[in-house]
Amino acid sequence: MTLAHAWALRWPERRLLLLCALAIGLGFAMVLGSGYAEGRSFQTLDLLPLLLYVGSLLAMHLTLVAARFQGDQILLGTLAFLAGFGLLAQSRMGTLDPSDPANPGLYLFPAGIVLMLTVCLALMRGRYERLAAGQWLWAGLSLTLVAAILLLGQRYRGAVYGAGLITPTELLKVTVVLFLASFIDRHAKRLGNWGKGFPRPPVRDLLPLAGFWLALAGLLLAQRDLGMFVILNVTLLVMLHVGTGRAAYPVLGGLLATGGGYLILEFFSHGQRRIEAWLHPFQDPTGNSWQILQGLSGLYSGGLWGEGFGEGHPEYTPIAQSDFIYSVIGEELGFIGCVLLVLFFLVFFSRGLGIADQTRSGFGKLVSVGLISVLATQTFLNLGGVTKFIPLTGITLPFISHGGSSLITGLVSLGLILAISEGTPAGARKDKAKAAPSQTRAEPRPRQTPRRVTRGTSGEL
Amino acid sequence: MATLDINALLDPRLWPSTRLVLHVAFFLAVFFLLKQLFDLLDLARLKHLARPKGSYRIPMILLTLLFGALLIHQATWQLAGIYRPQFIGFMQLHDRREFNPAHWIQRGRLLDHRGEVLAYSEESQGRVYRRYPDGPVFAPVVGYTQPRFGATGMEAVATAHLNGGEPASLNDWGELGRQLVTRDKRPRGKDLVLTLDADLQRLAVERLAGQRGAVVILSPTDGAVRVLASVPSYDPNRIGAELFLDAEAGTSLLNRATQGLYPPGSVFKIAVAALALERGFSGTLDCPADGFTTSERYRKIRDHEYYEARRSGTSWRGHGRIGLAQAMARSSNVFFAQLGVQQGRDAFQTLADQIHLNRRISLHESPYGRFGLITGELPSLAKTDRHGLAQISIGQGRVLVTPAYMAMLVAAVGNQGVAMRPRLIAREPAEPFARFMSASTASQLAPMLRLVVTEGTARGIDTPRLRIAGKTGTAENAQGDAHSWFVGYAPADRPTLAVAVLVEHGGYGSLVAAPIARDLLLRAQETGLIHRDP
Repeated sequence: MTLAHAWALRWPERRLLLLCALAIGLGFAMVLGSGYAEGRSFQTLDLLPLLLYVGSLLAMHLTLVAARFQGDQILLGTLAFLAGFGLLAQSRMGTLDPSDPANPGLYLFPAGIVLMLTVCLALMRGRYERLAAGQWLWAGLSLTLVAAILLLGQRYRGAVYGAGLITPTELLKVTVVLFLASFIDRHAKRLGNWGKGFPRPPVRDLLPLAGFWLALAGLLLAQRDLGMFVILNVTLLVMLHVGTGRAAYPVLGGLLATGGGYLILEFFSHGQRRIEAWLHPFQDPTGNSWQILQGLSGLYSGGLWGEGFGEGHPEYTPIAQSDFIYSVIGEELGFIGCVLLVLFFLVFFSRGLGIADQTRSGFGKLVSVGLISVLATQTFLNLGGVTKFIPLTGITLPFISHGGSSLITGLVSLGLILAISEGTPAGARKDKAKAAPSQTRAEPRPRQTPRRVTRGTSGEL
Repeated sequence: MATLDINALLDPRLWPSTRLVLHVAFFLAVFFLLKQLFDLLDLARLKHLARPKGSYRIPMILLTLLFGALLIHQATWQLAGIYRPQFIGFMQLHDRREFNPAHWIQRGRLLDHRGEVLAYSEESQGRVYRRYPDGPVFAPVVGYTQPRFGATGMEAVATAHLNGGEPASLNDWGELGRQLVTRDKRPRGKDLVLTLDADLQRLAVERLAGQRGAVVILSPTDGAVRVLASVPSYDPNRIGAELFLDAEAGTSLLNRATQGLYPPGSVFKIAVAALALERGFSGTLDCPADGFTTSERYRKIRDHEYYEARRSGTSWRGHGRIGLAQAMARSSNVFFAQLGVQQGRDAFQTLADQIHLNRRISLHESPYGRFGLITGELPSLAKTDRHGLAQISIGQGRVLVTPAYMAMLVAAVGNQGVAMRPRLIAREPAEPFARFMSASTASQLAPMLRLVVTEGTARGIDTPRLRIAGKTGTAENAQGDAHSWFVGYAPADRPTLAVAVLVEHGGYGSLVAAPIARDLLLRAQETGLIHRDP
């Protein structure tokens, strides 16, 4: 493929990125203008976050064209908007202080984009299949990460966190998905064997997974990271279901989760308090439910359209810049702003799932499904918590919330999905064409085919 | 310079319109972006990958339903929050965003039991202000509500009611909500009638002017609080940061009547006498002029007549052998110190429980706070600390009480031993709080309290117009002159009002606190709060 061809191929992405830059630019003018109206004088340096954002988009696009990247373009457009929206919200909250050009927060997004491109380019053309070989490496890395933070981290608000900006456990979202994808892909057939007659799980084949999971869950619960615990469990069930085609996994998991949920809440006082604040917010409005009610008050003040970025008073909601950023958006852009944001998230997820649908590599499919389910669960837990739809779990909103590790992890995940969307090299695809007839002949369950393709590919590599 | 140019270009006065333009432009840009995104979905499909099988459709539908349900739930708060009365109440009280529509509601008024206005809302230039016509007089009960500093007192505790947030039916609330949404009429909350008597409270504050102290007047038979005054107080019309920052001014925020813990001095002898009567005491005790002590190591406890005689250079023979009534009338420290030591430490423990010391009593409670009073403190003493026991028996040492509690205690004597639950809200029903002493004890104590006024330490306030009964107190304290106390009730045989007056460092109870109590009771009689003696 020539460079000109690649340039022509990626015009939808170019258009989307341009529109993003325009919309975010307008939002940025709103944020700066309201600051100016409040008496802050305007500095050229104030434009730095916007310039860095636009520069990153431009560099990203040119790099992808230069690399003759054929992968997805919609995901990138959506991400550009979500991240830009996050940038607006953070500028508005004052967490991106441009008066100090050395502020590391300013360069988080550019650094994340660089990382995303590195991951994407390094793993495209089917090279991501090699990640499957490191199955137990990912498992070990995951456990080490949680153990390390448990030993070295600091206690804050009833849970353990890493030092400062860095929360190494965020990376779990990638490493655990990689482990699960390789494990489930390798043992898909046996994991799908629930016996004849009365269904019973293949306990012996699940043992290694269960052992790892118990260790991970134990460590996570020891540091009271309930949010992460929920995200990873949902992801596990989704991946088991997709990998084996067995609906029994989510059903069994759902039953276990209901029982386990009660047990866990028995032992976690801050979990109980959150349930209480969710069920009876007006029992203790100035204490336990203060944050959630302030967030909801912000939403109510915002109404349908809001007052515009920079016009609200999100400072009244505790830690609004991270977990409660959604209530700031609801306050300043109103209900419509929230619906738009949710729509962008939905487009993002649907595109991610679409890529998984079109991927014939079992490992690739599982990785994309896993990463999307991590992001979707995280988004749902955050939005649901802030709007009091579900109890508060205290996790960040992907791409929007303040928090470097969360943003970097999100971008690395996206890099992986992009690499998968690039597809497998021509040789492997020919192989797949050969494998195709066998698919119709074999069982109707789709899980069979991907596994064969994987084997074929790894044989060639 | 580019910086200067841009600053010159932007005019803050143009901002409101610029803001609107940007707001609309931003939404248009995002809408357009979203439309482009959907248009390009197909164009940018991944042709080089395998054909889609559509297996992501069902999960996507589920996800969309889930997030859709979330958004609908969000809308029930964000757009239809008006149908959540408690939520509106919360926002009125705790939301400081000026454009929050909840602030559009005009709060109900706070009234005294005769309908005099203690607090009301007034609209001025499109904004609603809260006004307190009497300034600091009712602040200890009414409190304040103010956007920046929040709310306190009944303004906070009863906020849901004042905002109309306790609707009898959802229809009532719906009407309020409709007014709030359509803005055709300014929605109004509900008035709240308190038990206070504005006239009497004003007099109480006037009589305490220039001093520090508290007055509590309540009805022994139904617990209605008529006066709850604490001086100095603050002006709820002018709440500013200096009120909270300045330590000296800050004491005006202290509600002395319900939260101020003071040594009771001789007024506590009522409790000690009740204890002795309950345990069957009926004899006399020898009260030598020289005083009484539990051990040579401690200074003797003496009567005030001893000190007076010594000051004037004469000598005093002492009370000799006297009974409880005489000891009460003359407020004999020597008598009560012996009496208390006789009863012993465990008896005082029982007493503390029976008369509800070491407690907090709630006058009105809601999720937005509670209006309560502290009763007092009576810690348990060491077994060997007989001197401490003697001290407590005369209301000194480690016992502390609040004026509001002393009013409850003396009211119980006038109500056959039963303390009624003090209440501030007129529509709340009267209910008994606890039995502080047996009816027979109360009926033995009552004549003694009357004797105090007719022949004893409070004879200075005896008046033919009203049969007052009570007890004076002069409580020594480490901070300066003695605190001046009077607690009592009238009419003596069928009490309709009980009173507690405390003047910090006022000196003799008989000279400072007692006359204030008498004047208040006489005024109450004039205004019909006390029925004339038959």
